[in-house]
Amino acid sequence: MRLLVSDLTHRYDDLTVLDGIDLTLAEGEILAVIGPSGCGKSTLLGIAGGIVAPSSGSIRVEGEVPDGCLNPITFIFQDFALLPWRSVEDNVGLVLEHHPLSAAERRERIDSGLRRMGLWEFRQALPKQLSGGMRQRVGIARALAVRPAMLLLDEPLSALDAQTRELLMDDFLELWRREKTTALYVTHNLDEALRLADRVCVLSRRPGRIRELVTIEEPRERRQEPSAQAHLAEVRDRLWHLMKAEAQMADREIARA
Amino acid sequence: MTLARLTRRAVIATAGAAFAAGIPMSAALAQPLEKATVGVLALSSSGPIFIAKAKGYFEKEGLDVELKMFTSAQQVPVAVTSGDADFGVTGLTAGFYNLASKGAVTIIAAQSRDEPSFPLSAYLATNAAFDAGLKTPADLKGKRIAITTVGSTFHYMIGLLAQKHGFTVKDVTMVPLQDVPKMVAAFKGGQVDAIIAPSTVSRQLVADGAGKMLGWVGDETPWQLGALFTAPKTMKDRRPLVEKFVRAYKTALAEYHAAFNGKDAAGNLVKGPGYDELLGIIADATKQKPDIVAAGLPYVDPQARLLVDDIVNQVKFWQSEGQVDKALDPKSVMDLSIAGQ
Amino acid sequence: MPDSLNPTAVSTASSLGQPVRFRGGGFTVKRHPWAALAAFAVLIALWEGASRLGLASPLFLPPPSAVGHALVGMVTDGSLWLNLKASLGRIAVGWVLGTAGGMLVGFAMGIFSTARAVGVPLVSAFFPIPKIALLPLFILWFGIGEPSKFATIGFGVFFPTVIATYSAIDQVPRNLIRMAQSFGLPWRSILRSIVLPGALPGILAGFRITASIALILVVAAEMIGAEYGIGAFVLMAGNLMQTDTLLAGVLVLSLLGLAIGTVLSQLERRLLNWR
Repeated sequence: MRLLVSDLTHRYDDLTVLDGIDLTLAEGEILAVIGPSGCGKSTLLGIAGGIVAPSSGSIRVEGEVPDGCLNPITFIFQDFALLPWRSVEDNVGLVLEHHPLSAAERRERIDSGLRRMGLWEFRQALPKQLSGGMRQRVGIARALAVRPAMLLLDEPLSALDAQTRELLMDDFLELWRREKTTALYVTHNLDEALRLADRVCVLSRRPGRIRELVTIEEPRERRQEPSAQAHLAEVRDRLWHLMKAEAQMADREIARA
Repeated sequence: MTLARLTRRAVIATAGAAFAAGIPMSAALAQPLEKATVGVLALSSSGPIFIAKAKGYFEKEGLDVELKMFTSAQQVPVAVTSGDADFGVTGLTAGFYNLASKGAVTIIAAQSRDEPSFPLSAYLATNAAFDAGLKTPADLKGKRIAITTVGSTFHYMIGLLAQKHGFTVKDVTMVPLQDVPKMVAAFKGGQVDAIIAPSTVSRQLVADGAGKMLGWVGDETPWQLGALFTAPKTMKDRRPLVEKFVRAYKTALAEYHAAFNGKDAAGNLVKGPGYDELLGIIADATKQKPDIVAAGLPYVDPQARLLVDDIVNQVKFWQSEGQVDKALDPKSVMDLSIAGQ
Repeated sequence: MPDSLNPTAVSTASSLGQPVRFRGGGFTVKRHPWAALAAFAVLIALWEGASRLGLASPLFLPPPSAVGHALVGMVTDGSLWLNLKASLGRIAVGWVLGTAGGMLVGFAMGIFSTARAVGVPLVSAFFPIPKIALLPLFILWFGIGEPSKFATIGFGVFFPTVIATYSAIDQVPRNLIRMAQSFGLPWRSILRSIVLPGALPGILAGFRITASIALILVVAAEMIGAEYGIGAFVLMAGNLMQTDTLLAGVLVLSLLGLAIGTVLSQLERRLLNWR
């Protein structure tokens, strides 16, 4: 599924957060969006997912959806958004409840997601009994249960510690190795963008405009290898340079305000 | 300076009163006024106390009496028990006798009573109950009657009626509603067949067409409604105070009786000496219009004599209802040695 | 064996240095299950002693033994059960009616902004009215039988339930609702699966308050034409100045409150085990 964003502008009252965004996501492409706090990254994601109405401009999707897809555009949240009163399997089951599925298929969708994310033995557990990483895995299993065509990831690893982040990045790589799901991945962490994305979109400070779109040439599965490091370091320098300037200026504006 | 002026004013007041009553001045002048408090309800049944206070009969006895106003008959003996008041005048309830049985209060003289041809409390039937055959007080057997509370004067009035007509309180359904406004609400709403209500309320209900009057309690079952009481401890330790208080009270009582309770040969009420003045005093104290007060002035005995047999009957009635300790000797609730009966 | 593991070496080392003094005591909550009971026992013993020694008049402060005697009397003549049954029935019906109505209105106000705009000023206007002041009206509207007693308790319970319910709905995390919307859950499912369970802690906390209100109001409700009931019993004892019986009735009321509180705690523990 492709995503086509054209001349998108969004304002909250008289505060412009996004200004004239033009962006195209190719089928199966993973685009990381980085930028300073308050630049409208999450708003862009909300608009793409249809839970924030844009002030002007258009946002469209095109292309095929996979077999058995129940919710083509699906979110993964920073705070996991799990129902604390439901067990792991019932949290995954929640998003299937309103679809007319056979009991067997419902079970299969829940179980396969839980197994893939290593949650099988915790299926009866309540969210409060799980670590942060495990909770996000429930969030991923829930997203997988609806067989999405496009994932919208809103800083999915920001609430986790560094080691857990590494483990979950591996999980994401594995996911995208098996399914060619288009993804918009919002983060403020350069390492995540460099590990996971095909392209990186740098947004300016508010009002958010596209500063630059940087393509990472190295294929994802080879980025851990020594031969890839020179290129990644170069991309990293460039992204950091762009981000640093924006972040500093955003900081000063906040201080002044 | 202040003391001198106070004394002078007291001298003038007592001198005037003493002159009027023909009592030698020297006795009243001998000592400063002794303080005492009396708990009363703002009802015309407390009239003699208001008169004694307003006309200076307490001062003449060397007493500076403060009136403490209460809103329900239950509160007055409690105030005497707790020492907030030295004396009390109010209707007699089961609660009073329970306090008396614990040695907290004792009756020392009579207050008002329900007496034939003195309209104090009336039996009223709702129009529906009246049409269905509730025409006389005797017909109240088997009916639903609103009362304030279990153990109240209303409860006893039903008991008296039952004694007279050969049934018991078990034969009526008493509906306790706490106060007269709620009784009136239940009566108007047809929730009960009948109520016993004070004269002003009764007349208003009949005037509004809300019900029919079946008769007056005083005509049907005369009884000792209220009494003057104090703590037995006061009686023992401050007997001279009680003697002075009762003397002033009896003076006012006699004056009240002469003004309001007189009748001609045909049995009609006749205005006695000082009628308008005394009515003004009571109207003032109860914050009521004089004509409303005049319509519901109860009977008092001019010598403060108590219906002793009725008091005994009251105690026995409450004992039979299980609301007063069976061990209480009815005679022990009163000490009439000072009132002289 | 290395030196550091040699006990003598360790003890020599520690005797050279200064031991670190523990300074982290206090300011923690410890459980003393017997302290409350002991305090109660001491209090009751003091009270009884004061009465026995004649320091307190039995009329002003009946000794615990007299209160206990009155209580035993209530149990043996069956009046306790008769009064308790009447009051419990009134509390149950009144509370259920008030709670059902309050939750319905509270949910409407929590979900629809129009209902809230209309409801908040109305609730603010009616909530502070003392229900006891309305008793004469309730007699006219509902009579002096059970309905007016249900109404007194029900009205008292209704408004706090409305407030607890819509505040509880405000407390439901918005991110969960956004999540459900992003997965395309229909409105009814969001209400049933997210808003209702999410508001449950707040609603149960409201129950705690309304249960106490119901207990307070049963006494007021039984002012009107009640033959039996703990409230009627306490009122009658008060009117008759039977202070020992009065305290026995009050004791029954507070034990009832304790029992209801315990039941609600159990309910919370079961329904809110996810917290």
